[in-house]
Amino acid sequence: MEDKKKTIKAGLIETLPIAIAVAAYGISYGVLATQAQFSLAETIAMSLFVFSGSVQMVTVAMLMGGATLTSILVTSALLNLRNLLYGAALAEGLHSSRKQRWLLSFGVTDESFVLGSQRFKKYGPDPLYFAAVAGTLYFAWAFSTLIGALIGNQVDPLKWGLDLAFPVTFVALLIPSLKDKPVIATALSAVVIAIGLESLAPGNEFTIILTGVLSPLVGLYLKRRGNDVS
Amino acid sequence: MFHNWILIGLLTVITYLSRIIGVEIMAGRKMSPTLRLYFQYVPIAIITALIIKQIFIPTDGQLTLSLPVLIGCLSTAIIIRITNWFLPSVAIGVMAGLFTRYFFI
Repeated sequence: MEDKKKTIKAGLIETLPIAIAVAAYGISYGVLATQAQFSLAETIAMSLFVFSGSVQMVTVAMLMGGATLTSILVTSALLNLRNLLYGAALAEGLHSSRKQRWLLSFGVTDESFVLGSQRFKKYGPDPLYFAAVAGTLYFAWAFSTLIGALIGNQVDPLKWGLDLAFPVTFVALLIPSLKDKPVIATALSAVVIAIGLESLAPGNEFTIILTGVLSPLVGLYLKRRGNDVS
Repeated sequence: MFHNWILIGLLTVITYLSRIIGVEIMAGRKMSPTLRLYFQYVPIAIITALIIKQIFIPTDGQLTLSLPVLIGCLSTAIIIRITNWFLPSVAIGVMAGLFTRYFFI
């Protein structure tokens, strides 16, 4: 019993700094979803059921740009590909009954992956720790979404520059991850491909999908060439 | 809107499936390192494309550069690179964009 308490406490304490960052992001999502004409219930339901910052933000951004349902779903599926990797890496650490595993799977995110995989490497399988981490992140995400949605209803988007919040938030998410050459090359090629596609057909549906499929190939090529050289 | 609820439902299914497939099916299988790397680069590409689509706006069949968005994005990029603080970087980026909108356009 004492061990269980310690594990939950460790999960909560180690997640807290990340939960604060997640909450900042959640507030942004809440405000932006309101701008995209989502009702309060829809905004919060998306956070409760989808529980994926990147998918939710991209969906709202695409809706504001007039994207179709199909292109939003294809883009979201592409974004979710990394969950396959996270789940595969976390599976052993979530060693528990199938029912519990199916429940804990819902908590697989970028942040819980980082914390969970570090813990499992150090101490072995620990579903309870993962549950504490995922639960904390889920609460932070849902609660901050509610705050963002309530604020979003109160302010004039253009006057407060909320239309600028989308691109600026994405930049804040992107820049810290631009650390090695293949990643930078992926981003730069995405710039070129996206501008090229938009120049050919301004406001077209396929820019995001095609860029998402093609530019990682450039990063991949550079990474492999780098490995060959070394 | 009913349309939004359908979208939320479909996104819920797609996202949960990606999680459960990872935990139940992909675990224990050997995935090619190339595919693994490719998956990791996809979000970078999509986020970049989204930023570009906000900076270059289609107007009357032509692309127009949005200076406030561009300045906002550049300011955020610089601030987050220096400080690594998410919220202040976003706030400064929005303020820089607003400043550009009100004083230079």
